Amino acid sequence: MTILSKMFIALGAWLIAAHPLVVHAGDITLLNASYDPTRELYQEFNAAFVKYWQKEKGQAVVIKQSHGGSGKQARAVVDGLDADIVTLALAYDVDAIAKARLLPANWQTRLPHNSSPYTSTIVFLVRKGNPKAIRDWDDLVKPGVAIIPANPKTSGAARWAYLSAWGYALKKSDNEEAKAKDFIGKFYANVSVFDTGARGATTTFVERGIGDVLVGWENEAYLALKEFGAGKFEIVTPSISILAEPTVSLVDHVAKRKGTEVVAQAYLQYLYSDEGQELAAKHFYRPRSEAASAKYGSQFAKLNLFTIDEVFGGWQKAHQMHFADGGIFDEIYKLNK
Amino acid sequence: MRKSWLFGRVVIVTSIALGLGVQANAEEAGQTPKSIEQRFEELDQEIRILKRKRELEQEAAETAKKARPVVKFSSAGYSSRTGGFSLESADGNHVIRFRGIIQADHRLYFDGANDIRNRNDQRAGDLNADGFHEASDSWYLRRLRPIMEGTLFGKYDFRFRPEFGMGSATVVDAYLDARFSPAFKVRAGKFKSFVGLERLQSASDIKFIERSYVTNTVLPNRDLGIAIHGDVFGDRLNYAFGLVNGVSDGGNISTGPEFNSRKEFTGRLFATPFVNDDSALSGLGIGAAATYTDVSGERNLNFTDTTAADSTRNGLPSYLSEGQNTFFRYSSAAVADGVRIRVSPQAYYFIGSFSILSEYAQVIQDVSLTTGGSPPAGGVGSNTVFTPNSGKTLHHQAWNVTVSYFLTGEQASFRGVKPIESFDFGKGWGAWEVVGRYNELALDADTFKNPAGTAFTGGYADLSASAKRARSWAVGLNWYLNTNVRVALNYLETRFDGGAGIDSTPINAAGTNVQDRPDERAFFTRLQLAF
Repeated sequence: MTILSKMFIALGAWLIAAHPLVVHAGDITLLNASYDPTRELYQEFNAAFVKYWQKEKGQAVVIKQSHGGSGKQARAVVDGLDADIVTLALAYDVDAIAKARLLPANWQTRLPHNSSPYTSTIVFLVRKGNPKAIRDWDDLVKPGVAIIPANPKTSGAARWAYLSAWGYALKKSDNEEAKAKDFIGKFYANVSVFDTGARGATTTFVERGIGDVLVGWENEAYLALKEFGAGKFEIVTPSISILAEPTVSLVDHVAKRKGTEVVAQAYLQYLYSDEGQELAAKHFYRPRSEAASAKYGSQFAKLNLFTIDEVFGGWQKAHQMHFADGGIFDEIYKLNK
Repeated sequence: MRKSWLFGRVVIVTSIALGLGVQANAEEAGQTPKSIEQRFEELDQEIRILKRKRELEQEAAETAKKARPVVKFSSAGYSSRTGGFSLESADGNHVIRFRGIIQADHRLYFDGANDIRNRNDQRAGDLNADGFHEASDSWYLRRLRPIMEGTLFGKYDFRFRPEFGMGSATVVDAYLDARFSPAFKVRAGKFKSFVGLERLQSASDIKFIERSYVTNTVLPNRDLGIAIHGDVFGDRLNYAFGLVNGVSDGGNISTGPEFNSRKEFTGRLFATPFVNDDSALSGLGIGAAATYTDVSGERNLNFTDTTAADSTRNGLPSYLSEGQNTFFRYSSAAVADGVRIRVSPQAYYFIGSFSILSEYAQVIQDVSLTTGGSPPAGGVGSNTVFTPNSGKTLHHQAWNVTVSYFLTGEQASFRGVKPIESFDFGKGWGAWEVVGRYNELALDADTFKNPAGTAFTGGYADLSASAKRARSWAVGLNWYLNTNVRVALNYLETRFDGGAGIDSTPINAAGTNVQDRPDERAFFTRLQLAF
């Protein structure tokens, strides 16, 4: 190989290496791929972060949002959606992105609280006066009660709801799986409409007037109450429910390519800041910080919460047993059909 | 809206009927009958559920529709690279496109020879008294190229273009082009070398049926390798730098490996400084290109008992006339040995219906002579070796000027034309364009002398067989029936210096028995379909 050839190859390599710097200088746009009910939270949080970043670094940043069912969003990122950040309903969906090698397998260790800056739980939203006298999970499986959850195959909220119901039944029956399965069977027999996402289920219950009870995110229930008036709906908090931990992560592969790693990482860290935590609480997510918890604690009902690790051994096991093709949910769904 | 209303009515009537049926059954079974309010409430819920389910089905259908691949056909011009039949993913990031070009040509020769003097070709019959075969009239499928190309992930383009024209089955283009940004693209595979201006113009858009001497005889055609290229300064400057295997003048490399390890460096800068302006100069483009390689000591000289294909291993070209007949060949003893440099300033200017394109190219070629090899009758022979002190640096030059004008008022462009009116009997006559060209190829005088420069025998080429200069002019008429169909008529005439002798006698040392090769006059026609 001649010296000229070597020089050419070296020049080419240098240009390839330097290319992202050249192309992306001064062009910072982030895309946050999130799940359905976080629209309002991130609209406000994005504005706060843009202001913060401008003040701290003197750099303008544009943040775009994309919302959909959590599992669907994860698939979109794997299929090429250029999201720098994912803020999804459950860790299992972020794991799916990690499996596609778009982010490292240890992503949950990179931020505090297992990369879950806020939590939530599953509650019931009923019509004013609670005409079906729904107080706890047992009331949902009574004949004639029409319940509206989303489809666990496509919705993160729906998976949390399913696991809450299962956890309740398991606890009540002293860990008898057969009884829990029977309970879940009755639960889904009372479902009249299956939406693909949590926001769709809210629309079905609140705007279309279908069903007796919406089983879903606590924050979504409060939002419905706020938007449509307390005179129309009531929130019922069950005796026990699951501690839902929505998780967030940098999509390393995309951020590296776009040259947005630093600002994207800062965006995620800002969720843990005082302002980030306050905004989460304002939108009815349970904050992690003590200060925000103390300030907003009174707006959340007290109930017994169990974690997915305690009852199901983590998301991978829970998915395999309940939601994978041929799992318990499929079995129940076929029977109810 | 009306359908929805009707649907609602049908559901209500059906539900009431079902409800009454249920009531009757309950009464028969002795159960407590439901109140009217309860029944109404149930029916209302059923209607709402059915409506919502229908709404969700419609949403799902909409979503599925958005994700469905789109099949398209576009009649956009061939060089736009957006025409043809395509299958596109819903988000437009993945596209596969099927395109093609067919050129059916006829070549009619009034005068001219089909090869250099004394070049025996038994298939063409006996040589005439002057040692030539007359150029033969024929139909050709000049280009027959089905094209498959596309884009993956919005930025990785690929192109596969085989060639079945001219009795061949070869791969013309096969490459991947990664468009990281408009300013930085990487192309790898077999592709047009980023060198000649007219070569980079699509085969469907060139003004004449065949390209000029600059393109066809001096500058490279296709090569195998890698190139970085892009448009910078708001598309005002296009750059391209390549590292390729290297081909002889006008060469089109095969897809196989080459027999020497030396690479050729290509570079081109082309500026369109006023491209974004609304001025008379917006159609001006000017640039320069160059290639460099050094094959000193790399040549495989042992041609003994090798196949005919291996005879091309001398690394030297032969040159075609405007009428596509060979008028120059190096002697069988000549071989490329040393540096080959090409330089080519180039420019075009498009204004209104008028265009002018001009290129100059010079190739500086180191050559040597060899001795040995197989005897003419075949057999083992001896190894081929360089003849001592036979090296020489030759300078061959070519240039051309091509002008065109649309009689029907279309805008002239480097990339095809969209007729104001497509051809349709009684409704439109398509676009009509007149074209003219002068081009010339001049070989170094030392090519035809021995290494010492003292005699016309023992040189790198025989002046009584190969001409040292070809001067051609041509005029033509292009009729674009629409963006995809074109009829072209060209008249061309070429005069040669040297290239013939007296009867079939060989050249003498003083070169006094050299004559000029007969002029070439031809009429070419083409029917082209490109999409």
